[in-house]
Amino acid sequence: MRKTPERIEGLAAEYVLGSLQGSARKRFERWMMDSYRVRQEVWFWEEKLSGLAEVVPAHEPPKRIWAAIEQHLWPEKIATKAASGFSWLWPSWGLMATAAAIFMAVMLVQQPEQERYPLLSGAIVQENIKGPLWLLSEAGENGETNRLRLRPVAAEAAQPDRDYELWVVPEEGQPLSLGVIPVGDDVLQIELNESVRAALEKSRTLAISLEPKGGSTTGAPTGPILHVTKLYEL
Amino acid sequence: MLEDSTQNELMVLLSSVARQDRQAFQRLYEQVSGRMFGLCKRLAGQQELAEEALQDAFIRIWHHASEYHSDRGTPMSWMMTIARYRTLDLIRARKVRQTAGDDALNSVEDERSGPLEASLQRDGSAALTGCLDELSPGQRDSILLSYYRGFTHDELSTALSTPVGTVKSWIRRGLQVLKRCLEK
Repeated sequence: MRKTPERIEGLAAEYVLGSLQGSARKRFERWMMDSYRVRQEVWFWEEKLSGLAEVVPAHEPPKRIWAAIEQHLWPEKIATKAASGFSWLWPSWGLMATAAAIFMAVMLVQQPEQERYPLLSGAIVQENIKGPLWLLSEAGENGETNRLRLRPVAAEAAQPDRDYELWVVPEEGQPLSLGVIPVGDDVLQIELNESVRAALEKSRTLAISLEPKGGSTTGAPTGPILHVTKLYEL
Repeated sequence: MLEDSTQNELMVLLSSVARQDRQAFQRLYEQVSGRMFGLCKRLAGQQELAEEALQDAFIRIWHHASEYHSDRGTPMSWMMTIARYRTLDLIRARKVRQTAGDDALNSVEDERSGPLEASLQRDGSAALTGCLDELSPGQRDSILLSYYRGFTHDELSTALSTPVGTVKSWIRRGLQVLKRCLEK
């Protein structure tokens, strides 16, 4: 199709209006890439017709949209903030979390054994729920701390198509998955490889997110972070 | 239309965003997201799709801020255009149909008021420096419904009870008249 000025003019206007569709739209986009003249015509219409857009009444978007944008652009920022304090949960992730997921870490009394590393432990609790949701403690053999024990206490099952996933939140970089975690009576023993153990030793921070059944498929949390907890040395 | 001082402020923010300034990006979001979301909602006619479009639009703004230049209009019009295209893409990709029972179409039968709220039509006309008034009612309605609701030719044909061929010609002729007027 020849790029006569009349044709460019007509197609540019319909492109901006949105009435140019399908393969015709794609073909015109190639014209735009090829020709400054075509782009200029498009810009003319974009600017003129945006006057129509600017008279549409504003509508405040929900806060979760900014949180989602931040998470998309800077997932590492979320993780770093988590390690240095919990302020990032409010108002970003916190707004995505289910209602009243207010948490704190509590210390557990545990008799330390002779270990190479200090033992860490903690609990995930939620306001208004009696008892902890999960208890966490490190465990090991022969002086090697290489496992994390997670015992569900008051945790209830996620929605039918969702699972809880446990993460180590390192001081820097992406959260490291420790896998999907159970509710009910089963104690979960999680083997920690050396790098995960080292990251946990440094940040002492764990997080639980709500994920699709079977856990996140991207290697990073995709759903809301429901809980963040610090582990304590005993 | 936004005042020049606001446009200047947006220009400063946008150039900071082009240098990957995250704080400027957040301030930009706080300043313009309401207007952009209003447009996305109007166009999509549903919350979920509008939210997705707004999110995508801002991610695009972050990555492409350096491509903005004054030939592309004011910063606000550039960002509104990004939001609008993204919403249109999602509507088409999801095949969201603009239903004929929509509130916006309730007054279609009324020749005087046309298919959009009178306020939008009046303000839109002012934004186009009165050029909409030079169009016939059919040309004006089909252009406004395409712009504000993302109607396809087929949807316009249904909404305006007019053959597709006529609708296409209304749009084509209407845009020509509009261009001559806007260039004056």
